[in-house]
Amino acid sequence: MNWDAGLPLLILSSSLLPGLVIFFLPEERVATRTTLNLGGALLKLVLVGVMVWGVFHGHHYETRMPLLPGLDLVLRADAEAVLFVTLSTVLWLVTTVYAIGYLEDSPHRSRFFGFFSLCVTATVGVALAGNLITFLLFYELLTLATYPLIVHRGTEVARQAGRTYLTYTIAGGALLLVGTVWIYSLAGSLEFTHRGFVAELVDTHRAALIVIFVLLIAGLGVKAALVPLHGWLPQAMVAPAPVSALLHAVAVVKAGAFGIVRVVDDVFGVEVAANLGVTGPLAAVAAVTIIYGSLRALFQDDLKRRLAFSTISQVSYIILGIAIVGPAATIGGLVHLVHQGVMKITLFFCAGNLAETLGIHKISEMNGVGRRMPWTMAAFTISALGMVGVPPLAGFISKWYLGLGALDAGQGWVVFVLAGSSLLNAGYFLPILYAAWFKAPPDAWPAERTWGSRETFWLLLAPPVVTALLTLAAGLLASAPFSPLQWARFITAQEYMP
Amino acid sequence: MITTLGLFLLLSVPGLPLLLALPALRSRLPWPCYLAILPAVILLLIPADFSIEVPWLLFGTGLGVGGASRLLLAMSVVLWVAAATLLRAPSSRPADNRLATFFLLTMAGNLGMILATGLVGFFAFSTLMGYGFYGLLVTTGNAGARRAGRAYLGLLILADLALFEALLVTAATTGDLGFGAARHAMAQSPSLGLYLSMVVFGFAAKAGIWPLHFWLPLAFRSTRPAVALLLGGVPVAMALLGMVRWLPLGEITSPKLGLIIQGIGVAAMLYAILTGLIRGQLKLLPAYAVIATTGLFVTALGTGLADPAAWAGYGNLAHYYIVSLGLGLAILTTTIGWLQARRGYPVTPAMQTDDSNPWFERWPGAVVRWGAKIGFYTLPGLRSSWLAKMGCLRQICAWQRILDSIEHSLQRWTFASTLLLLLAMVSVFLAAC
Repeated sequence: MNWDAGLPLLILSSSLLPGLVIFFLPEERVATRTTLNLGGALLKLVLVGVMVWGVFHGHHYETRMPLLPGLDLVLRADAEAVLFVTLSTVLWLVTTVYAIGYLEDSPHRSRFFGFFSLCVTATVGVALAGNLITFLLFYELLTLATYPLIVHRGTEVARQAGRTYLTYTIAGGALLLVGTVWIYSLAGSLEFTHRGFVAELVDTHRAALIVIFVLLIAGLGVKAALVPLHGWLPQAMVAPAPVSALLHAVAVVKAGAFGIVRVVDDVFGVEVAANLGVTGPLAAVAAVTIIYGSLRALFQDDLKRRLAFSTISQVSYIILGIAIVGPAATIGGLVHLVHQGVMKITLFFCAGNLAETLGIHKISEMNGVGRRMPWTMAAFTISALGMVGVPPLAGFISKWYLGLGALDAGQGWVVFVLAGSSLLNAGYFLPILYAAWFKAPPDAWPAERTWGSRETFWLLLAPPVVTALLTLAAGLLASAPFSPLQWARFITAQEYMP
Repeated sequence: MITTLGLFLLLSVPGLPLLLALPALRSRLPWPCYLAILPAVILLLIPADFSIEVPWLLFGTGLGVGGASRLLLAMSVVLWVAAATLLRAPSSRPADNRLATFFLLTMAGNLGMILATGLVGFFAFSTLMGYGFYGLLVTTGNAGARRAGRAYLGLLILADLALFEALLVTAATTGDLGFGAARHAMAQSPSLGLYLSMVVFGFAAKAGIWPLHFWLPLAFRSTRPAVALLLGGVPVAMALLGMVRWLPLGEITSPKLGLIIQGIGVAAMLYAILTGLIRGQLKLLPAYAVIATTGLFVTALGTGLADPAAWAGYGNLAHYYIVSLGLGLAILTTTIGWLQARRGYPVTPAMQTDDSNPWFERWPGAVVRWGAKIGFYTLPGLRSSWLAKMGCLRQICAWQRILDSIEHSLQRWTFASTLLLLLAMVSVFLAAC
């Protein structure tokens, strides 16, 4: 196996092997566990850096292993895969740092970090999957790896949330499996291909293709939290903050959204999907999800629950961008895959900091918290404003391309959806900022812990500050080489190339 | 050499205040608010016009100085130095520390707007200035200022949405978003009507032009003198500048919109004169002066939209008008502040609840009181504004309960409901085909 064939497998192993070792480490081996966690994350970052450089310069990285007769397990680094792999790798590193600080002195850390590494391995597998069967395998592995993280606290509420999560995602997985088997029986292939692999079936199996599309989207829509398949996500916020960050920004919802991108772009192909008339209804479902999620977020007092409904809304921007059909909207959707991840992970880190440092869980408890935790709330402010779409932050770039794409495609109604969503985003984020910065703090916080002169433990503070800076940089330096926007343009140029 | 110096100077005019807005950086430096304005002063002293393109910034951002922007920059320097002097020792107390942060953020946005040579840069800096100015209004801590801030923030969000739509329409029409090219392209675009409406509404909301003026009297009455001094020259003047820079004036004839805008302008002037005379409060004089002068400005703008030849005649005076408006209002505000200080009035008076309630909170109360007078008693002892809030809360709670119960049921019957939904979706798709 040469370097080009081995690199995807190496990237996968950089989190899988440390994860497997960590499972067997005794609780007190903190240094070894931390070294393995950070070493794996850093190694993966370096390897992904090499892969980004290679793919940009036309290298072809592919690992292929026989799985079933006629079906291979394929890991392939195309431009779309690299976008998602880079996102998950960078955010895994910061989440690992955060989790080390967050779980200091907690029980069952080896179990936690073992499943944490498995979860990232599955996400990277989803990203690098070169065909639908490989995608399905890692997608299901992701379900199994995240369940123990959701129930990590072991409370009845956590177990209930875990059960709901498992029911939803296994049902979704079943639909995805049915769709995959059906499409294989018709097309005889599951290889992801630019412009899809079902074009020849449009005339002969039109109705079947539409039903398969619905099956695949419904299966993936569970993890992407499309309304009405979103019910597990607000419940899953009982998980520890690093898990919430992982669920909402890196792994689960992103795997669902990325899967939908793959189905539209590389299974059906944008033109075939548009020809079948399925992109319009998909855009409508995404638009309903965007508005519904924002409306529900507006009325939540629990901070993490508000953020969960915000995720439901924001992730559908990605799906809307793909469903509009057009280069600018696709750029908007793909770039939001990265931007939403960076912004949302910051917000969950900050929510975790407030809970761990001051015992704050509700928005009504956040009065004056900006004075007590200025760095945390500054990071929260940047990301919240980014979510609203305030220039020059990351969310502005996404909304710009989505709006532009909608106008290019002659779908002006999308611009109103974006405007309505921005208004609702402002409605549920700005009151939090007002309370935190301008209201008087209470005499005592619900459960305050102190770390000397610092506002909180530095391992908890550094990650949100770094990701907030990334939110700023992704918007401000959007036109710089290797920015998420430039990479999304690179992908779209390939997708819409004549 | 000149290019490098120009790049450095032009970037540091908005960049230095932005950096100094970080308390950790500012606390190590003496006189940060004066220091922040220094690059702008140096730029004014260099007698050459130059501009730069920064391709890596946002979608590619242009900054430049020359002619009208030099004049506006000079006005801003004077205003910011005067405001910084009025603020005094801005980082001495925690509350003042926040004020200094918002002061510097607003300054960065204001100076960036003047130097921006394209729509996107102007929009980004105007948003920064708007949010910064909201912070300035609110940090004064006065109830009236907070109300003014709330109203201003609401208008700011709506204005930004409208301007964002205008930007999208422009970007869909032309790839060049520099002021000249964008104006020219939009003058020939079929989306011209939408563009004009969005731009006029967006900047009218930001400038507080009648009938979107209601936050201005509250703001003038309730804020610190330093903030009141900036009101005319920063949010109002910059929004008028936005109209001049974004609208394709002199290139189009739009009699209908022109007439509507003329009508708004005349109504604004009449309103300001009549209300100013009726209320007769010295501290509100600058607010009504703003409404009247912006009314005159939009009347001229409406005339320019209706008749391009007229704009060609007086359009080049628009920048002088904006500068004199900004400086004139600053002088008026300072003079009134000085007069009131001599009479022993507090700098930021405590607001009396009845008097300070804005119309949008006062009218429902008036309706209840009127009902009581004619014998129709609603709920005795309950204020109308509370009634409105409780009604709103009830509605929210009802919706909340309905949605919660739906989601709860869905979670209990997950698999069945998923299959049902799927079947429904399949039926819809098949029916659509």
